[in-house]
Amino acid sequence: MINGATLATIVLMASGTYLTRILGYLALRNRSLSPRTLYILESVPGCVLISVIAPAFVSDRPADLIALAITVAAACRFSILPTVLIGIVATGMLRYLFGA
Amino acid sequence: MSAAHQATETASDPAPRSASQEVRRGLRASLPVLFGVIPFALVLGAQAAQKGLSSVEMPLMAGLNFAGGSEFTAIRLWTSPPHLLLIAAMSFLVNSRHLLMGAALAPFLRDVPRRKALAALFFMCDESWALTLADARRRMLNRISMSYYLGVSAGLYLCWVTFTTLGVVLAPVIGDMERYGFDMAFTAVFLVLLRGMWRGVRASRPWLASLVVAALTYRLVPDGAWYVAAGALAGLVCAAFTAPKRGAAHD
Repeated sequence: MINGATLATIVLMASGTYLTRILGYLALRNRSLSPRTLYILESVPGCVLISVIAPAFVSDRPADLIALAITVAAACRFSILPTVLIGIVATGMLRYLFGA
Repeated sequence: MSAAHQATETASDPAPRSASQEVRRGLRASLPVLFGVIPFALVLGAQAAQKGLSSVEMPLMAGLNFAGGSEFTAIRLWTSPPHLLLIAAMSFLVNSRHLLMGAALAPFLRDVPRRKALAALFFMCDESWALTLADARRRMLNRISMSYYLGVSAGLYLCWVTFTTLGVVLAPVIGDMERYGFDMAFTAVFLVLLRGMWRGVRASRPWLASLVVAALTYRLVPDGAWYVAAGALAGLVCAAFTAPKRGAAHD
């Protein structure tokens, strides 16, 4: 059920991933940060989140772009659960209508 | 932990709760996110099965690595036998955003002993990190609620390992789940979290830089692993240039 080369790849890959999770913390713990550095760090979460979803903004499917606009509008008003449901339903329906 | 420390902690917390209440609150917060995670996990499992991974190997990868983007990348690059170094390097690249995320989390982990923090960081993923930081900000705290974070993480972790495995088993019957719009769930969750972090137009200029650079990189660079790192870095550079010289962090 477990192949040796597969196991080695998974362990090495997982070790690398764990390093990415702890290195940033280890580098900055116990440092007193200037207000300027804190300001920069405070913008990191938004920058990472918006980068992860950036491909949705340049989709080449019209149905997806319209659905994204609807989801953005929903996100401005509602909490997570209604926004997720509106996003899924809008995307599914528009893809069906556009035949994508 | 000293009594005095405990007292200040309670004083700075607008709504003190027990650890188990916090874990449950975290679990509940993870539920809407699971709408996006479950189809994603099923599809990953189905793709892994096509590349020959077994229903033991998939949960091993999902459980030890626990980072979806890098697992999709690994499965796409998977051959028999796999190119060990290529896969390890590409997943490090895809996960390089964790470096910034861990750095941003560091000031919120001041009260946590190092060993405990290192163990907790094993579970840090986009969703657990974003929900936990957003929670700390909403409650105006300069530390995260560790129990809330562990609750969110438990929901995501169990779901990820379970449904990637199910994906391997159900590979023959899983069609194109994307068609039904489930992939919009992630975008929807992230958009709501972004709204919660909104601090006015001026403070959001780095976001715009990130969005533009990440989108362009995604369109122009054929290898799908670079755009998150490029976008995050662009935002960081923009923030460094637009940061106020001294004083207030907010507009």
